[in-house]
This record gives sequence, structure tokens and C-alpha cells, in this order.
Amino acid sequence: MANEPILDVRNVYKSFGKVYALEDTSLRVYPHEIVGVVGENGAGKTTLMKTLVGVHSPDKGEWYHNGIRVPFPKDPKDAARKGISIVYQERGVVPSLQVYQFLFLGNEEKYIGKFGLQIPKMKNAAKEILDEFHIKCNIEDFMFDLPLSTQKMIEIAKAVLNIRLEQNKENADSVIILDEPTAPLNIEERNELLDEIVRLKKHSSFVFVTHIMQEVIEYMDRVIVLRDGRQVAEYDMATNKVTEKELVRMIVGKDVEEQYQSSRPKNYIEQSGNALSAINLSKNGSYYDVSFNLYKAECLGFWGSAGSGKSELIKTIAGIKGYDDGCLMIQGKKTKNRELPHTRLRKGIGYFSGETVNELFYDWPITKNISILNIEKIVTRFIHLLKFKAEKAMAAGIVEQLRIRTPNTVTAISSLSGGNKQKVTVGKWLERKPDILLLEDPTIGIDVGARDDIYKTILDMKSQGISMILVSDDPKEYSTLCDRIVLMQQGKAERTILKEQLNEVIQA
Amino acid sequence: MINNNNTKGSMNKMFSERIFTSTRIPLLVVVVVICIFQMVNPTFLSYQGIVTLVYAMSYFLIVACGLTFVVMMGSFDFSGISIMKLSALICVLYIENFGLWVIPIALLVCAAIGFINGILVAKLSVPSFMATLGISIVVDGIALLTSKGFLHLMNDEGFRSISTTFIAGIPSVFYWSIAIWLLCTGLAVLTPFGRRTYAIGANSRAAALSGINIDRQRILVFTLSGTLAGAAGVFYMSQLGGGSVEIGGQMMIPLFASVVAGGTSLRGGSGGPQNTLLGVIIITWIQSGLRMLGTGLDTQMVVLGIIAIAMSIATTDRNKLMRSIVK
Repeated sequence: MANEPILDVRNVYKSFGKVYALEDTSLRVYPHEIVGVVGENGAGKTTLMKTLVGVHSPDKGEWYHNGIRVPFPKDPKDAARKGISIVYQERGVVPSLQVYQFLFLGNEEKYIGKFGLQIPKMKNAAKEILDEFHIKCNIEDFMFDLPLSTQKMIEIAKAVLNIRLEQNKENADSVIILDEPTAPLNIEERNELLDEIVRLKKHSSFVFVTHIMQEVIEYMDRVIVLRDGRQVAEYDMATNKVTEKELVRMIVGKDVEEQYQSSRPKNYIEQSGNALSAINLSKNGSYYDVSFNLYKAECLGFWGSAGSGKSELIKTIAGIKGYDDGCLMIQGKKTKNRELPHTRLRKGIGYFSGETVNELFYDWPITKNISILNIEKIVTRFIHLLKFKAEKAMAAGIVEQLRIRTPNTVTAISSLSGGNKQKVTVGKWLERKPDILLLEDPTIGIDVGARDDIYKTILDMKSQGISMILVSDDPKEYSTLCDRIVLMQQGKAERTILKEQLNEVIQA
Repeated sequence: MINNNNTKGSMNKMFSERIFTSTRIPLLVVVVVICIFQMVNPTFLSYQGIVTLVYAMSYFLIVACGLTFVVMMGSFDFSGISIMKLSALICVLYIENFGLWVIPIALLVCAAIGFINGILVAKLSVPSFMATLGISIVVDGIALLTSKGFLHLMNDEGFRSISTTFIAGIPSVFYWSIAIWLLCTGLAVLTPFGRRTYAIGANSRAAALSGINIDRQRILVFTLSGTLAGAAGVFYMSQLGGGSVEIGGQMMIPLFASVVAGGTSLRGGSGGPQNTLLGVIIITWIQSGLRMLGTGLDTQMVVLGIIAIAMSIATTDRNKLMRSIVK
């Protein structure tokens, strides 16, 4: 690539509170290329992308345009003026709009004539764009009617269009950031989308954030690896073909591998009895005929890509979603399909997700956040009044045990760092001690230190006899926490393996 | 990790600070309101004036407490005043048939209406805004139907003495309403019921994952609100001694204003009945003060509307709002 880069940022630093999310990271994008960005959850990928489009402003860093230093964009509109736009992983589409309406959403003022919106003109422009990007749909189709991959393509087209309208140039240089665009897609849709993106290289450059190594190896021109906010490797795929094994090694970092050893002999687990079992559980469009047994004090993982149905499955067990067919049994007793989370919790199933927004009350102090799940433990016997002293003692115990960094137990959750927020969530489940704990992305978006503490606590709970189910995107999490792993693909449970076999499966 | 003594000290400090900041503005407004009216009208704080103010605020405080629980939960209840009217009408129309048993009957009917509100919101997922507005119109219609639009007078001395017996120079309705207010405050602050109500208002998804039966809680809170509105109707009728469907017209907005003025945000999850007392004092005393000055209903409405908006601007924590948008 001899020509000038169209995006050139160097030595970016960004911290949240005391934690550095980005340290000395640089990114250069040349015309007509796809740059992959890979890394664990919490490695700083999203922070970097949000810095590029002006959602975060960096603590330090340089941005060059044609070799001249310019300031970072102030907001997404400013970023579009610089030729950068982003397609977020989700929430980008307005399903109730028609394709042409969605394409020009936010830019309608460019098509206002004497009598309001010039609909025919918009439609013609939209048609041209669809042709240019080879999108196979009608401009009057509703977004929700289209397959996910087409929706993604329209979002990409919208991002390019946005830059053109903002710069008022027909063929402006543009860099489109794609944040895990393939995550919600199944394998066919995924390949289709990737082929389309490769074809679009003549219109635009792409920064492609992903967790899927095969995509990186087959489709990217260049890839950079982030770990704990730093760039640890860069590979030019044309000259320096990297193997998947090498990539995974760079992403995970070998120094923190295989620290925990707590697996028990398989026989021991099977003899300890069933905590939960599913027989031919099906949910249309998500998973089909899934059967498994969860033994006591065992951690069972469900491994698969984002479209594999693992996330829907764990939500079904938690009572957040229903199922269409089959049977779910807790301690050998059948459950009803319409049971909500509170009923499942009474039967001993707790659901713990790393999305703290859904788990915690941000305006509340730590005390209340822990006690809300354990309210029975802190009420007086007859008329159920709250015992505030007991509540404080309970929270203080958890803060101490999990080494939560906070001035005191009445600090509001919103002022804690991500890792400490997560620890509060773990803490309330530690206090509750359900029979079965469902973990979905338990350490998403937090730093390595807090992650280790959380792993230790979870393993501790397991050794106290709590059964667990894990769903995550992080292979290391499975090898750390799980005893057995069910491999899922496109909604089917393919086979069950021991955790030692996971690496072979991933690399195969 | 935590120094125990230190925690305790800072905690007490934080607690008192929080109480202070959350009630500072309403308290200030109350003082200003009293000063202004006392200056313009020297009889404002005379004995007769105080009795008028107490009558005006007492029944209102009871409806407002019920509404506060609903607002804390992040929902709306527009049916409070209509339910109150219905309860008052039931009392005046059927006191001759049932004697004082008319009170539990009225409360039961009102609880049932609140329960229906709850079912609509929780089980049928009607937005509370729409459900309670619809119910309030239905209830108004029923009230019109039963009263046939006439003015009815209440002659039962026993019933009237519930509110109008003077104890230490103050009518008994004041003690009733303060007792109910204290119970509501206790319910909100000291019990799991209150905690759950706040939880749903603060983050309903987290509340569901914390094992709270959200549907049941919503139904309970709406039933409570209906029952308290019914109780307010009973006291209203017993202090007024008569009424038609017209009573309590135009009171819904002052009611919401008093809840918000106290510091319970319409976003849910904050405030509580403890705050509502000051809000009720602000709104009802301004209303009575204006009335004592002989101001017409038109001016009263303008002033109350402005006060309602001003108070919700003053008691909103805009830092928090910004944060939630940026996040």
C-alpha cells in the first residue's frame, strides 16, 4: 500500500477512572482495504472505535489527515465529515421504516423542497444506492421484512451515504467501522455478507471488529490484535499469513493461561445427581431438540457462535424467554413454560449476566443492590420490616470478601468502575447461593485483575456445590470455569466434550 | 477494606445530607409561600385560616400518598380523583341503607377499581397512562349515573364526626391523614414491599432478575392507590357534608404537582410518601391562600399550572439525567 492512509491515528490513550481502556494504540487504514481488529472482550476494541467516531474523546493521541495533525472528532457528525462512520452491532435499524426512509434517516433536510419532502427524488436516489451496493431488495420494503444480512448491508450503505452527504462529495474517501457485524448471523448469511463487503472495497475501506478467527484469516487484508488496551500484534495478511493458533495465542496472551485447576474426575460429577435436565427442548428460530443433564456442583458450558442459540437457551432456562417444545426439569421436577424469572429463582435458578445495566440499580448504594436479592435474610420475623444494620453488615461482608474497591458500602453503583460493578453482581449471587447459577458473559468488558477475582469467586461457589451453566464468547472462560462443554451449531447441540478437548475443537 | 468507625460517621453524614438536599427546595418553597400569603393576607395564619388549610390538605395528602407509590414505581395513575369522587358518592348515597358499614363497602369498591387498573397494566400490558385515564372516565360516568348529577347532602352526624371532631383545636381529619401518611412512609422505607416498588421504578429488568414478581407488585400498588383514593373520598365527604359529581373537578394536575413538588420523580425509583407531605402542603396551601384572597378559579389554575412546572424543574436532578443519556 504505497498511497496515503485515509485514517491515521497514533498513540491513543483513554482511561475510565483509574483503568486504562486504551494505552498507546495506533490504527492506520489505507484506501480499499479491510482491517480486522480482534481482541478479548474488554481489550479496548469498542473504546477505540468509539474514539474514532467521536463518542469518547481520548486522553491523549494524535490524528493525522494527509500528514497534517488535526483534532479528534467531537461527535459522530464531525467524524462523518472526516470520512469515518460506524455500524453498531445492534440497535442500528429502525424496523418500522421502509428502506428508502431508513437510508435517508437524519438527512431528510437534503431532500426538502417547496412542498415538504421530495419523496420521488429520495426514492430515485435510494434506488441508485441499492444498485451501487448490489443490495437485493425493494426500496419500499419494510426493514423488518428483510433478512439480517440485507439489513446490515443497508446499514453499511447508509453509513457510506452519510459520509458523502456530510462531505457533499460523490466519491469521498470513507472508512466504515463494523462492530461485530456478523455476530447475529448464521453461517450462510455470514459468508454472503463478507463476500459483499469484499466487493465493496472499491467504494470504501472497512475496520472490522470480530471474534471469529476464520473471518479474519479468510477476508481481512490486515489485522491488529488488542489485549488489555494495548496493540500487541499486527499482521499483514498478504505478506505475513498468520495461523489461527497464533492469533488466538496473541489475543489471549499465554502468560495468563491455565492458572486455575479445579476440574474433578468425571465419575465423581456424574454420581452426584442431576440438578437440571432438558429433553428435546426447542424454540423455533433459535434452537432445536436440545437435551442435556447438568450434574450437581458441575459447570456445563454451551459453546457456539452467536447464531448458535446458546444465548436463547440460557435465557429460556432463566425464565426470560419461553420455549416451543420439549421439557425442562429442575431437580427432577417438570417446570412450566410460562414461569418467569422470579418463579425460577424460587426453584433455585439464578441468572447472572455481565450486562450490569440489566443486573444492578445504578442509582442505588451497594447495600441495597446486594440486599434486593436477599431480602428474606434481612427482615424481622413477624411483620417483615427491614433490618438496616443487617443489610449493611451483609454488604460489608461482600465488599470485604470480593475486595470491591469503594469508599464505603453506601456508595452508589454508578460511581464504581466496571470491574467493581461486576463484583457487586457476583456478590449478590454469592450471598444468595442459588442451587443453579446461569452465567452469561460473566466477565464481559472488564479488566484482567477483576476478571481473575470473579473467576476465583465463581469457582469457589462451584466447590460449595452450586451447579452452573456458562454461555460466553471467550474460549478461555470455558477452559477456566467449565467441566464439560456442549458444542452448539445453528441451534443444534452437536456433541458434548470435556473442557480439555475444547482447544482442539476450536482449532479444527 | 473498610474502616468501621469511618463508615458509620460518613454514612450518617451522607444520610442527613441526602435528606437535606432532597427536601431543601420544597421546604424553602413552603416558607416562601407562608411568608407571601401572610404578608398579603394577615388572616392566613389565624386560627380560622389554619383550620381551612388543614381541611384543604388532609384528604389530599391521602390520595397523594397512594399516587406516590404508583409514581415511585414509574407508572401513572390518573384515576385517583375519580375514584375519590365515587367513594364520596357511595358514602352519601348509601349511608341511610348501610350506616357506617358504607365505609368498608366504599373502600372495597375503590380497591377493586385499583385492582382492575393493576390487571390492565400488569397482565394486559396497557400503558398505565392510558389504562388509568380510561378507567377514570369510566368511573366518572358511573358516578354521574348514580348521582344523576344532583347535589346530595350528608346528614349523618356519626359519619361527619369522623373528620370534624376537634382535638386540640385541630379537626380530626388531620390526625387521620397524618397517621395514614406515617403508615405509607413506613411501608415505603421500612418494608420489602416498599423496596420492591422502588426497584421496579429504578430498573424494571433488574428487578425482574432479582426475583421480584413484577406483575403482582404492580397490581398490589395500584390496588393500594385505589384504596387510599377511596379513603380520601370518605374523609372528603365527612368533612364537606355533601357533594355532586362536580366535586374535585380539575384536581388531577394539582395532585400530580404535589407528588412531583415533593421530589418524587415521574421517572420512577426515587422520592416517596415522606417527600409528598411537603409537596401537598405547597400545592394545597397556595390553592387555599389564593381562595382566601378571593382569587377566581381562572387565576388559581394559571398559578397552579406554573407552580407545578416550576417545582418539577426545581426538583429534577439534571446531572443524573445527562448521565443516563450519555451512557
